[in-house]
Amino acid sequence: MKRLGLPLIAVVLVAAVLAVQVAAGGAHYVPLRPANPCSPRPVPPIPAQLEPLAEQIVLLGLDSAACRLGISRERLVLALAETHTLDPRQSAALKAGLADAVDRLDREGRLPKVSQLLPQALAQTHLPGIVKTIVEAIPDPVVDNLLPTAPLLRRTVDALDINRLLRELGDPGQLNSALQSAILQAALHQILDSLHP
Amino acid sequence: MGHEAAGRRTPGLQQATVVALSLGVAVVLGDAGVVTLALPEILRDFGAQVWGVAWVLISFNLVLALVAVPAARLCVRGDPAVATASGVLAFAAATTVCAVASSLGVLIAARAAQAAGGALVIVGSLELLVSATGVERAGVRRWATAGVAGAALGPVIGGLLTAAFSWRAIFVVQIPVVLLALPAAIALRGRVKSRRPTLETSPDRPHLLANLALALLSAALTAALFLLVLLLVDGWSRSPAVAALAVTAVPAAALAAGPVFRSVRAGTRSEAIAGSVLIAGGLTGLALLPRADLIWTIAPQVLIGLGLGLSVDSLTAAALRDRIPRALHGGWTIAARHAGVVVGLAILTPIFTADLRHAQTPAEEAIASLVLDAPLPASTKLDLAEQLGRRLSAEQGRVPDLRPAFTAVRVPAAQAPAVAALQRGLDDQLKRAATRAFRTSFLVAAGLALLALGPALALRDRYRS
Repeated sequence: MKRLGLPLIAVVLVAAVLAVQVAAGGAHYVPLRPANPCSPRPVPPIPAQLEPLAEQIVLLGLDSAACRLGISRERLVLALAETHTLDPRQSAALKAGLADAVDRLDREGRLPKVSQLLPQALAQTHLPGIVKTIVEAIPDPVVDNLLPTAPLLRRTVDALDINRLLRELGDPGQLNSALQSAILQAALHQILDSLHP
Repeated sequence: MGHEAAGRRTPGLQQATVVALSLGVAVVLGDAGVVTLALPEILRDFGAQVWGVAWVLISFNLVLALVAVPAARLCVRGDPAVATASGVLAFAAATTVCAVASSLGVLIAARAAQAAGGALVIVGSLELLVSATGVERAGVRRWATAGVAGAALGPVIGGLLTAAFSWRAIFVVQIPVVLLALPAAIALRGRVKSRRPTLETSPDRPHLLANLALALLSAALTAALFLLVLLLVDGWSRSPAVAALAVTAVPAAALAAGPVFRSVRAGTRSEAIAGSVLIAGGLTGLALLPRADLIWTIAPQVLIGLGLGLSVDSLTAAALRDRIPRALHGGWTIAARHAGVVVGLAILTPIFTADLRHAQTPAEEAIASLVLDAPLPASTKLDLAEQLGRRLSAEQGRVPDLRPAFTAVRVPAAQAPAVAALQRGLDDQLKRAATRAFRTSFLVAAGLALLALGPALALRDRYRS
């Protein structure tokens, strides 16, 4: 019995320590695993401001693009950060992903009206003061009728030069300028299409 | 038994001789792992890679494994006191070179020389301790215990000295301590008459099972000390002093194992089996840490320490019992233990360095995920992402320090809490990745300890007195 006693005590001590560690999550103490980009991610409330809206579209767009490319959203972002240039397949996936994001937010009624975004957008543009005053004078219903948010954003995505945006990620001024240019171009085409159906 | 010296010396002098020789054995065997906690600092000082720095440990243990038996033969043929005194002088000289080494190559070469001198100190001291105590079992027990204490305390003392001064202090401190054994050895010159094989009797064969078990357990214990220290210092960014204090659980438990379990008088075989189970269990516990918190390492370390205290001197005593010449069999135990350490390092270092490299991808993805989902404006996220990317690419193959990335980005006060939370989250992810990277190595080491159960089960059981 003496001969068995010591090994038995050892086994009991080991079992007790390992049981406590496994119960405390010892087997699962690993880095956060990226979520499946093909499973819809919950979307938080979006304030009616340009930056949060753009960020949410980009986040959802990355998920959709990653799903199309068969990789995680995080791997796609790290690859973009490393390369700064995209092959046509990646570029197409990103554009399609951004369009998917706009569609989803539109379906879920989460897109703010353009009239809500306009004051902030005007404040950030370099348009002459007189033009800003004229635009501000346009009644909100007219603005929202001429520029429904979802079609405007889809046109903006179409107009985006993704490679240019990636190159200018480190320069907020250039990035804003590229985005404003795409939005203005999209808005212009939207208005022209409304006037000449 | 031929231990004439003990009878002719005063008890005080005899005690001092035993203490000085035990300290010599402890310092030399402690040297096998004393630089473990200093490795990150040595790595930085010489701008080396992990694999290169591991040779500071490997060279000592490899040479000790190769030289222990020839050194023992030298002791058997000549006077162990002369061999020990020569070993002390050679060890002290090589240690001085280690303390002033100007390059990694010089340090590694001096460590090899240290081991060559140290081998003479260890095997010579076995005969001298038996002679000084006057009782064979007491001398062998003292020698084995000094070895266990040195091996267990080495990394702790090395870590504290590194934290208080520098890694060079480890070697400076050893010189006077090991030199204490010099007068003790000289005092016993010509007085040791150990049992030797005669013309009719050849030397006993080495105790294969006990030495094999010692080799396997030493390989596993390497993981416990070497990998745990690297995890604490490099993976969890703890200071060497904190890591040194944290790993005191191993020597404390090792020294407590005797008084706690020896009263059971279970026998060599049961002690070796229990020790192997405890070491394997402790290493599995280190592979299954639930958080990067020092408190979670204590219980596994206690298991390892208890196993170390139970098995190593029990197996050493089994390897030496009734075998002549004693120094030669002492040499075999040292060769087996340090060959085990080398094999352990050779197996485990490539595994954990590869795992550390592979941990980079999940860590980067976890960092990207937290940054993308952080409740911060996109512009702040972009700034942080740029800085974090620089830190990650600058620290290829090592666990990066992300603090400079956060100090480089200026954010409005309103965003500071979210940025601080993000920083904590990223640190947590890095610690998770580092802890996960060490898991396979700890499990492989646990497997080595379990393999020691084979020879331990085949041992003949003998009660210890």
